[in-house]
Amino acid sequence: MTQQAVEVMKPLELPAVVRRRLTGAELAGLAGLGAIALLPIPFGSFGFFVGQFALIYAILGLSVVVVTGYAGLVSLMTYSFAGIGAMVTGIAMASWGWPFWLALPLAAAATIPVSVIVGVTSVRLKGLYLAIATLTFADALGETFFKWDRATGGLSGWVVSRPHPFRSDASYYVLLLVVAMGLVWMVTGLRSSRVGRAMLAVRTNEREAQALGINVYKTKLTAFLISGALGGIGGSFLALLLKQVTRSAFQSPLVEATSILLVTVVVIGGIDRPLGAFLGAVALVVQQQVFQGARFFFAYFGIYSAALLVLFLLYRPGGLMQVVRLQWRLIQTRPRVGIISTALIIGLNVGLAWLFVRLS
Amino acid sequence: MIAAHPVIQVTAFGLASGATFGLLALGLVLIYRTTGAMNFAHWAIGLLAVIAYLYLANEGVPVVLAMLLALMLSPIAGIAAYRYVFRKIPRSNHVVTILITIGVAQLFASLAAMVLGFKQFTRLPPWLPQGKVSFAGTELNTTDVVTIIVAVGIAAGFLAWFRFTRTGRALRAVAQNREAAMLAGIDDVRSATIAWGIGSALAALALLLVLPHVAGKQGGLITTFDVTPFGTLLIPAFGAALVGGLVNLPMALAGGFAFGLVRELLVLAPRPWSDMRSVAAAVLILVLLILRTERFFVTAQEREALEA
Amino acid sequence: MSEPLLEIRDLTVRFGGITALDHVSIDVAPGEIVGLLGPNGAGKTTLFNSISGFQKPDEGRIVLEGQDIQTLLPYERVAAGLGRTFQHVKLFTNLTVRENLLVAQHRHLSSGSLSAMLRLRAWRQDEAEALARAERMLDLIDLRAWEAAYPQALSYGTTRFLELASVLSLNPKVLLLDEPASGIQQKEVEALGPLLRRIRDDSGCSIVLIEHDMSLLLSVSERVYALDFGRVIAEGSPDEITEDPQVLSSYLGRTRRTHATA
Repeated sequence: MTQQAVEVMKPLELPAVVRRRLTGAELAGLAGLGAIALLPIPFGSFGFFVGQFALIYAILGLSVVVVTGYAGLVSLMTYSFAGIGAMVTGIAMASWGWPFWLALPLAAAATIPVSVIVGVTSVRLKGLYLAIATLTFADALGETFFKWDRATGGLSGWVVSRPHPFRSDASYYVLLLVVAMGLVWMVTGLRSSRVGRAMLAVRTNEREAQALGINVYKTKLTAFLISGALGGIGGSFLALLLKQVTRSAFQSPLVEATSILLVTVVVIGGIDRPLGAFLGAVALVVQQQVFQGARFFFAYFGIYSAALLVLFLLYRPGGLMQVVRLQWRLIQTRPRVGIISTALIIGLNVGLAWLFVRLS
Repeated sequence: MIAAHPVIQVTAFGLASGATFGLLALGLVLIYRTTGAMNFAHWAIGLLAVIAYLYLANEGVPVVLAMLLALMLSPIAGIAAYRYVFRKIPRSNHVVTILITIGVAQLFASLAAMVLGFKQFTRLPPWLPQGKVSFAGTELNTTDVVTIIVAVGIAAGFLAWFRFTRTGRALRAVAQNREAAMLAGIDDVRSATIAWGIGSALAALALLLVLPHVAGKQGGLITTFDVTPFGTLLIPAFGAALVGGLVNLPMALAGGFAFGLVRELLVLAPRPWSDMRSVAAAVLILVLLILRTERFFVTAQEREALEA
Repeated sequence: MSEPLLEIRDLTVRFGGITALDHVSIDVAPGEIVGLLGPNGAGKTTLFNSISGFQKPDEGRIVLEGQDIQTLLPYERVAAGLGRTFQHVKLFTNLTVRENLLVAQHRHLSSGSLSAMLRLRAWRQDEAEALARAERMLDLIDLRAWEAAYPQALSYGTTRFLELASVLSLNPKVLLLDEPASGIQQKEVEALGPLLRRIRDDSGCSIVLIEHDMSLLLSVSERVYALDFGRVIAEGSPDEITEDPQVLSSYLGRTRRTHATA
């Protein structure tokens, strides 16, 4: 041990914040993201729709990243929060004539009472209880809030239109890109902060977190609240995307299935990585489009995404980036194995989709 | 079908569906206590038995044989899921444990949906006696009565097995203190396999009992939506398990009956409330969570075991 | 002694039929180093669990600086000035060494989630302060070279020092150390005694030490309590304890043992 033991207790001088330069790998990654962002262009209107859908899934994925990836809580009502956001946006815009920019924060705020009720009851118990509670509430909300005509606009739902500068497909796509990246920036900021690290600590070892003075209940509740608000924001943009919000998507059984799909999106991205949510969303939404041609879409895509969820959880917790990294290393060290396994992975994904479509 | 004594009929119906939840809850608690994993895939494993039964029965296999074969499928699926998937996740990793059971649930449910899509079953040959029986001055469905009797019988048998046999005691030892049990020579993998096997069989029986209540609504065609909604079966089962603090078996069974009763008795309530089954379940579960029922049933030792 | 910093009175913990702690009373003065010795199962860790809030006692009082802390949750007791390490090292295996120490600075920071997400000035200041504090700790335990590594890559002894550094970050008034020397090499054990004394000298905190390594315990403690079967069977200076017949028969063995002087 060094002399510095004595100096620990003296008052601190704060150093200036250090700015790093981006590494080569990070620049390449950013370039890759940029390329992905440009993908929809040759596909025209359909391409932009898929792109917008993927970005909204990415935003909803961020909700899962915070509550599950950071705080380690399983929430099965992410899509319910999206539904609340979507419906509140619909009410505000179609029924009260509000502009979108006022409806959006209202949508986020509307999730708070729900997340408070669910959170406060479950946060003092083990994570398992919260998982059960969210499942229960998703179901109950589907039976109440999402059945009331005044909230859902009846069977035909709410019709909303996009605010003026964003009416076209391309412009709405760009808006979503900016919003999604902004939210990724915010969630990343959360990670490198007192609250974010507390969440990670609670997720890793709750006892030790308590022993270090972290209020684990407040931390978990905060994560749940933020996650709910992110869900509401995603739902608000979803309303604009679809231009018409109907309630069936937020009732059982679809609401739980979609919440699970969002978890899969995030797991594919590496459960605690905000950018990973973006990647996972793109991957799954694109695959989903391919499966749309299949006769039993619900079943086939369900099998495919469930298999992905299980396989990634078992073997690649680091997500797609880990897959890419490991395959790259494999190709460099054992080229034949590397190339064959990579071809198999790509082939299986493409082939399965083709197979299911053909089987119809 | 509301006759002279609706309360009695609805009560019988509620107890019958409660029997299902009770059996499901028994399986859930057994698996949770022995392996520390809360099995979100429980109902889906039972669903596979239903699909098997539908397939066999529609192919002309005698009902009883179809039932028995179907009942064997779930334990196979459950044990396979345990051996190849769940065992690979360390107990201490709570998040991944829950997520992976959800993944397996979706996998099995989607497989079931696929089969239902391909085979388009229209016939649902009943395996329980049909008809009516007289009781307390009113008519009850024989199916309901037999369901209750079968469920209580099987549950009682299971509880007795758990309490009095060597294997049952071994499972309880593992639940209380895995390391001590292992030191005493009890194989915890074998115990877990047994727990998953029996738990899955209970789930299969539960779903086969409830099937007649929910299936065949869409113009005679049995679709996945009749049996798969995640919530319909899993939530009351969780609620029932919560009554016993997730660890007490008899209370879980009682909880199942309670949930079934509440759900069905709601039918007698005034209009908007009568459709609010999920809300009723949610309220009950909220209350149970606030009460923190596990306090009453989990010993300090068991808590250590469950938290790994 | 003058007003004790930490007072335990008649603490009793029962698990079903077993009495793990039986009316245990212990005093710790400010800046004192107190040792706890006793065979396995004597109740030492249960005592720590009760003091730090992870175990609810059936009877008794726990008073810190004149305040009854029994109604406080574990993290609130940290705010009141308590810090503890665990028998089996508890670190965040998902986080790097540096991040572990950053987490430990939680008490000293105050920015909330909103300022973090919007990257406001409060967040930036907090991050700079957390970083500075964590880096001081890193240098204290000589782990700069390993700051980006995960705890699994470290030797067991090093993880113990990391845990110690985390707890020290809390600036505790009372430090509860549960077998800090277990599992580490002899020369590191020998360095531990002087380190603990220096920590006490610099910060003025009290230390309560559970330890099976007799040379360490007896050389660094100013007073020692001996526990067996959940009861305090002896109390006194290290010299007195090693000659106490009850202690000798229950724990040290029948021959009188000499301890190494620091």
